[in-house]
Amino acid sequence: MGPSVLYHCPCLSTSPAPPPPHYPSSSHQFHPLHNLFFCEECDAVRCNRCVSVEVSTYYCPNCLFEVPSASVRAEKNRCARNCFSCPNCRNTLSVVSSDPPETSDTRLPTSINTSGEPPFFLYCNFCRWDSAEIGITFEKPTGLAAQLQRYEDSAPESLEFERLKEHFEPFLRASSLSSSVAVHAAHPGSAAHSHHLHSTSITAAASAALARDIPGVSKYNPVSRTASGRAHRDRTANKDEMPEYKSRVEIAFVGHGSGGGDAEVEYMRRLRQVQTVARLEQRWGNSWAGSLQIKDLKPLRIPLHSKRSKRCPTCTHILIKPEQKAQSVRYKIKLVAANYLPAISVTLPHLNKPTVTSDAAKRTLMKISPQLVDDGTTLQGLVAGKTYPFHLALTNPLYDPIQVRLSVQRVHVTAPTTNAGASPEKARRPPFAISLPTSHFPIAAFAEAWEYEDDEDMMVDDEDFGTGMRGRDKDGRGKTKTVGVLEKRANVTLIGGEVIIGKEARGSIKFNMLVTYTYRSDDPTPSEGDGDMPKNSKPPEVKTFAFYTVVDLGTIIPREEIRPELDT
Amino acid sequence: MPPIRDKFTIHSKAVVCQDVELKGDITIGSGTIIHPKATIFAIAGPIIIGSGCIIEESAIIVNRKKETMRIGDDNLFEIGSRIECPSIGNSNTISTRSRVHHTVSMGSYCVISPGVLLVPTEDEVLPDYTVVYGPSAERRTWSGRGKVQEADLRKKHADYLKETLPKFNRLRRGDGT
Repeated sequence: MGPSVLYHCPCLSTSPAPPPPHYPSSSHQFHPLHNLFFCEECDAVRCNRCVSVEVSTYYCPNCLFEVPSASVRAEKNRCARNCFSCPNCRNTLSVVSSDPPETSDTRLPTSINTSGEPPFFLYCNFCRWDSAEIGITFEKPTGLAAQLQRYEDSAPESLEFERLKEHFEPFLRASSLSSSVAVHAAHPGSAAHSHHLHSTSITAAASAALARDIPGVSKYNPVSRTASGRAHRDRTANKDEMPEYKSRVEIAFVGHGSGGGDAEVEYMRRLRQVQTVARLEQRWGNSWAGSLQIKDLKPLRIPLHSKRSKRCPTCTHILIKPEQKAQSVRYKIKLVAANYLPAISVTLPHLNKPTVTSDAAKRTLMKISPQLVDDGTTLQGLVAGKTYPFHLALTNPLYDPIQVRLSVQRVHVTAPTTNAGASPEKARRPPFAISLPTSHFPIAAFAEAWEYEDDEDMMVDDEDFGTGMRGRDKDGRGKTKTVGVLEKRANVTLIGGEVIIGKEARGSIKFNMLVTYTYRSDDPTPSEGDGDMPKNSKPPEVKTFAFYTVVDLGTIIPREEIRPELDT
Repeated sequence: MPPIRDKFTIHSKAVVCQDVELKGDITIGSGTIIHPKATIFAIAGPIIIGSGCIIEESAIIVNRKKETMRIGDDNLFEIGSRIECPSIGNSNTISTRSRVHHTVSMGSYCVISPGVLLVPTEDEVLPDYTVVYGPSAERRTWSGRGKVQEADLRKKHADYLKETLPKFNRLRRGDGT
């Protein structure tokens, strides 16, 4: 994995500063740019952890039928049309008709084929499984789910579950609202639930919907549900007395085919071929614990997918909203952070030099600074006690030029990975130092795409040019030009930085970087919210936005390990 | 190794495009269709292809052994497949970008699914109706239901190509003509 830049989302936390990057626990606050949203109202970055999510459509991924949410529950979250997945290989099954009778197989079948010959069956085009193997055939090729429904409904587990639901129904109805509160009370302070403090009617409705019992999926958390229900009952001092539930069949007598039990053990004892045992992924999607044998696997209706829209947790404005139609992959509203924040990519020129350069570029590079090319081939990685340049390419997505300022957040003495064996005095020193240009630098405005039609080639050239220039400067008058603005092209500005790694340094080079940028605001009204500092200056109003990123340059190679190979 | 002597015997009803790479002693049966850019190499022994086969673009058929490689009737070799089997029965499907080693002999009605790498170290024969699928080349036996419809489809496929290919490609004729 190469060097990376992740963006910080404060997730409604009180302090805008991100946690120290070295803690493993900090990672949840940093996200790749393409996962982030941007709320225009609040002028703040939002991530998938802090937005509130609503389902806008349910649809079948196979037939793209949009299922009304009312029937999602009734259809148990699976497609109720003709979509089935192969029990053997998970592929989509197709409905085929039987072969015509074998009398005149070469001449006539064309005429017979068009109408189709009953019985029909499901057929996998990939592994050639067919449902006739397990005795499922159909009289007509439509409404297969309904025809299969009786297999599903007559399963003892399903009947049992229906009875259980009936049994609990009055109790659940009485306590559905308070139980959702009880669930929250059961996990106070957990990060996921802390947002409910900010919850609005929408999130409250969403959480109530989550707490509701859904037939198809509630198998996942039966324990927690009943536990929370019981806790609730205890607390409210037996508000409503539950009659005892008597199961239809004693589990001990349920034999083969329903999972577990002596029959299964017996089957395993007599097992000759391991291929007859269904693998975990083949049984995973089943609603009930079924038989272990491959011959008992049934085709499953394809689970529905959903399209979700997301809202800002504070102002409840929609951040992203897909188009309603299942066929469409477009969005009605799309406020993604990539359209607001400059994209930053980091490269270590000494690492990828030999790989990215084209031959021609390499030759020119050789002419400029042959020793640089050598550098790249021999030193793969960041060795402790050395100094390396790195490049940050900032791309401006806005239609206005911006002024950017980078500043590295001080790494406190806390860097925990450094001081395993080193002396305490040494351990107090930060393991590495970052130098970046401290002044403002401009990035030009984003222009229309036709200007950048050969973007990728340009990028490579660009970097070569950057390092070439750097190398030349290095040759000429020391290391003056490693740090600073190396290259400006279109809406990309390449910034050079330098990392000085301590002799005893270990761990990875990760540092928090505050990116502050100033842009001309379109709307004159200064918006309020966190992270925003409207500066009331001259008529074309200038606004400043700041966000934190974490830059990960890679892992330091300790000196002891590299020494024998390097012979320094 | 002696230089490979080319000897192509192509049935007059076969459709073999000009842009097909043929090497060695190759016999192509009637109604067989070979798309342009397919490759058939009879390096050591001859290759005999039956009737009604379809060999698509960039499919490669190689015979490295001294013995004759026999390919039966109505087989389909899809795009980018590579086959070195010493013998192949009838009505097999070798799907896109799959590869079958010279250690495998195929029966009839076998299916090699797309992308499958079938490279056993020991010689083996795939029994009729074997389906090889998935990234780890799992096997199962097809019930054979639907094979008449499939054969019919294969026939239509061949008929269509027989009509269309010569319109846009020069055809190759055997040495005899």
